[in-house]
Amino acid sequence: MAITRRQFLKRSGLVTAGGLAGSTGMFGNPLVKTAMAETIGDRYFVILYLDGGNDGLNTVTPVDNQGGTLRTNYEGWRNTGSGGIRLSPGELAATGIDPDPNTGANLALHPGFIGSGIGTGEGGLKALYDLGKVAVIQGCGYPNQDLSHATSGRIWESADPLGSSGYGNTGWVGRYLADPSTMYGALDIPAININSSIAPEYVQNGTSVVAINRLRNFGFPFDPDYEDDDAAKEMAFLELHAESLASSQPTVELTGGAGTATFNASQSYPALHTMYEADRPVFNQKYTALDTSTARDLREVAKIIYGSVTGEPNIDARHFWVDNGGYDTHGDQGGAVGRHRDLHDEVASAVKVFYDDLADMDPGLEDKVTILIWSEFSRRIQQNSNGTDHGSQGPMFLIGGKVNGGVYGNHPNIDPNAVDSRPNTIYSQDVADDFRSTDFRDVYGTVLKHWFNMPHGTILPNVLTLDAGMDPTLYWTVENFDLTHPVNANPLFLP
Amino acid sequence: MGDQNTPLTEDDARQLVRRLGFGIPVKESKKFRVSELVGLTRGAAADLFLTFKPKGFKPKSSDIEKAINKWYKYILKRKKSLALQEKLVIFYHDHFATNFSTLDVQEGEKDAIAMMAEQNKMFRKNCIGNFKTIVKLVNVNPAMMNFLDTVVNTKDEPNENYGREVQELFTLGATDLNGEPNYTEDDIGQVSRAFTGWHHDIKIGTHHLHEEDEHDTTAEFPGRGPKVIFGTAHPVGGGHNYGGFASPQSFITGGEAENEIDEVTEILFQHLDTDGENTVARHLTFKLLEYFCHASPSKATVDAIVTDAGFVGSWEMVPLLRSIIVHDVMYETAVPAPFGALTKKSVRWPVDYTIGTLRSVALKPKGGELQIPGGDFNNLGELVAEMGQVLLEPPSVFGWNWEESWVSSAGLLARYEFVRDVVASRGKFKPEKLIDTDLTDPGDIVDAVTDQLGVTSQFTATQRTTLIDYLTDEGTNPTLDLNDFDTRNRKLHGLYGLVLQSVATVLH
Repeated sequence: MAITRRQFLKRSGLVTAGGLAGSTGMFGNPLVKTAMAETIGDRYFVILYLDGGNDGLNTVTPVDNQGGTLRTNYEGWRNTGSGGIRLSPGELAATGIDPDPNTGANLALHPGFIGSGIGTGEGGLKALYDLGKVAVIQGCGYPNQDLSHATSGRIWESADPLGSSGYGNTGWVGRYLADPSTMYGALDIPAININSSIAPEYVQNGTSVVAINRLRNFGFPFDPDYEDDDAAKEMAFLELHAESLASSQPTVELTGGAGTATFNASQSYPALHTMYEADRPVFNQKYTALDTSTARDLREVAKIIYGSVTGEPNIDARHFWVDNGGYDTHGDQGGAVGRHRDLHDEVASAVKVFYDDLADMDPGLEDKVTILIWSEFSRRIQQNSNGTDHGSQGPMFLIGGKVNGGVYGNHPNIDPNAVDSRPNTIYSQDVADDFRSTDFRDVYGTVLKHWFNMPHGTILPNVLTLDAGMDPTLYWTVENFDLTHPVNANPLFLP
Repeated sequence: MGDQNTPLTEDDARQLVRRLGFGIPVKESKKFRVSELVGLTRGAAADLFLTFKPKGFKPKSSDIEKAINKWYKYILKRKKSLALQEKLVIFYHDHFATNFSTLDVQEGEKDAIAMMAEQNKMFRKNCIGNFKTIVKLVNVNPAMMNFLDTVVNTKDEPNENYGREVQELFTLGATDLNGEPNYTEDDIGQVSRAFTGWHHDIKIGTHHLHEEDEHDTTAEFPGRGPKVIFGTAHPVGGGHNYGGFASPQSFITGGEAENEIDEVTEILFQHLDTDGENTVARHLTFKLLEYFCHASPSKATVDAIVTDAGFVGSWEMVPLLRSIIVHDVMYETAVPAPFGALTKKSVRWPVDYTIGTLRSVALKPKGGELQIPGGDFNNLGELVAEMGQVLLEPPSVFGWNWEESWVSSAGLLARYEFVRDVVASRGKFKPEKLIDTDLTDPGDIVDAVTDQLGVTSQFTATQRTTLIDYLTDEGTNPTLDLNDFDTRNRKLHGLYGLVLQSVATVLH
């Protein structure tokens, strides 16, 4: 049971202005340092959320049939001509990846994944795939697929599809951060979301998560005409918020804590912007040249990681969150060109620059960072006039220097006789099913176990709970937190 | 338990002015001032606020930023019930959310602004009208028809975007107050069929038309089944179908044409949840209570208000709002914590926090860009955006993320910055006109400032001491001369800043 923020403060006697004024939190305690080194240690984790429901079938696309009928089925669902979104084998020729483990069909990423990389010379996600740094995990989903953006997004964020775990409104990363085994304290800031609000994955009640849009603007705003009064204002501000933090009223407590964390972060984070701009002009310019929100958001993450590896004081964040919106392509989706392509291009180019930035920052640093890409659902197998409605299982991506690259998981079964009446593909955990789905919780579990070094027995049930007592062919009743490469049989995260 | 005959206390009156408008404005018509409202019954106050004729304003301009600023400026100046009018328009704008940038990609800036402005005007005109009428107007609203793809929803290629959200967001909610689903995917597919073939003419702006040859008919598509909704048994519906219906509901009783969307709407408004209560009435009332009162209304409170207002069947907004205003729930968070176990204070929306603050300290932003004339001289719209809100630009059809989402570091820091800009607006922000500067006792000064801002009861005794210690520099200067320019600018401006940045003002 994770202790709450208020309990923690009472126990450690930090509900005094003196204690709160210091922004070092528990990181000054050598015991805690040791414990953390046993968990994520000097590694980093970035979530990139594709907001709106990314069309998986035009993200990882069958190029041919081989031992199955994936391409034939694909062509039956996706049109050519006006409003058509079908990707032809020619359009997919430059983005081929490993074949589907089940049917052997050759697969390709959407051509947008080449990444226009305008002005950067870095290329895109496809180049990283060719370096063996990208795991494409097909057919990820959960039982009883919900087609509402809000509900399905909530399921992925909470990792609690049946809503029966008692996890409340916490997120899966949040539960990990707040777990006593991680030893983070209430005033620590282990995670930064590059956003105007905290992502639901990170919601919990054990540590501080800070949302920052741009580091440059994150200094605390004092009255410029009376700087001699700053210290008095700081003390009063922190005392007022410490008192609110001690309130029995949940929103008052939350806002008191958030105000305190904000103040503390404002004392150490803005300098990272200046430092990065001064030290890394070449890569700084590459993000600027891409001129996309994903590139700019990942640059903020790069600035923090740079501050972290160069040993700036009080920079303890290891977990990050960024997003890209616009995937709800009910209309005007486009095929090899157009809206969906632009979205893939944006992500592919930005991730490549980010990866190369890390490698250039400190050789080997790219081996210490993993990026997880997800979306709340894939889209309808059959296109509408020029787009796609809401769908079910879709691909996830894990990217990083220690990721054992390749195609994991089976392509969903898109045979007209196998889909539901929508038509959407159907989640399956039946071991006898050649098209068996990958439950997204196995991907989370693999990250928790092998990237965060969380003990298997702590992940279950503190962060993830099996669909106990349910039909094992339709529900997630047996976990697999050791995803392995279907060809070389090595673990997803290389040692 | 209070009722419509309960007289308003000072805290109640402040709560009413804050929640039905934006801040406690320094410049307000006499009848609507806190001092005049105290002692009035809740019922009389409700009637005072709810008796008005909506105005015909729309935020239109050649440029989107100018259009948004035009709306901010309009809100800043509204007095009496028209502040409530704007609060309601923002509620509908969030509930039936469409955004400029999606329409901009589809139709270009000029038409996108025109459609958003037209929709905004429609919400204003109907803000205290009939809720079912508003839903029917939204069904054929050009901005909405574009935003949720009704315009590309045809018989050959049905598009479910609107058919889903009209149920999930606009009327029923995905689940009822017991967490049970309100509809099935089949219901979404069937409702979407009703909306096939609808278009609008953006040049005319409000005109919509129905193309018979793009409309899905049962004769042409027998494989899609009969045009009925709520034909499936609800797993916990006690033998009833989804919606509490005994049998599938047809929406083609008047034929297969334009009538279908109104028939669908009528059926949705008859939908009952797994408690057998009207789903639309509960869904809307719950959301209005979250918006106007506090973040955790109980089912019993929702039901009491729906019943008191006679909302089911009438769908009239005035009695519904009146029932909210006379109910205890309106005043629960006006007093110091702790409140009832189920009561949770709300986080003020950025637009409410900023415009409310400007009105509470009588500071006028400068020029067409609405610049705050101090500190970093930021523009109002940029600060509100940093807090997570841009009017005419809700992030998605879900509107803005309310409550805890606003309490992020990014959002809070933008609030702190806004306040700093306000109190550093030298020569423009004049606290000497807001409180008596002959006060010298620090405790009196703190009380005067928190009273003027209407938040005295939201500070604990310890927090009051903190503010006093700030004024005296921990007792170094036991009294203050606020008529001294430097003391006033350092400490009184500073005190205003701390109070406005504190949790007491960020929440309500």
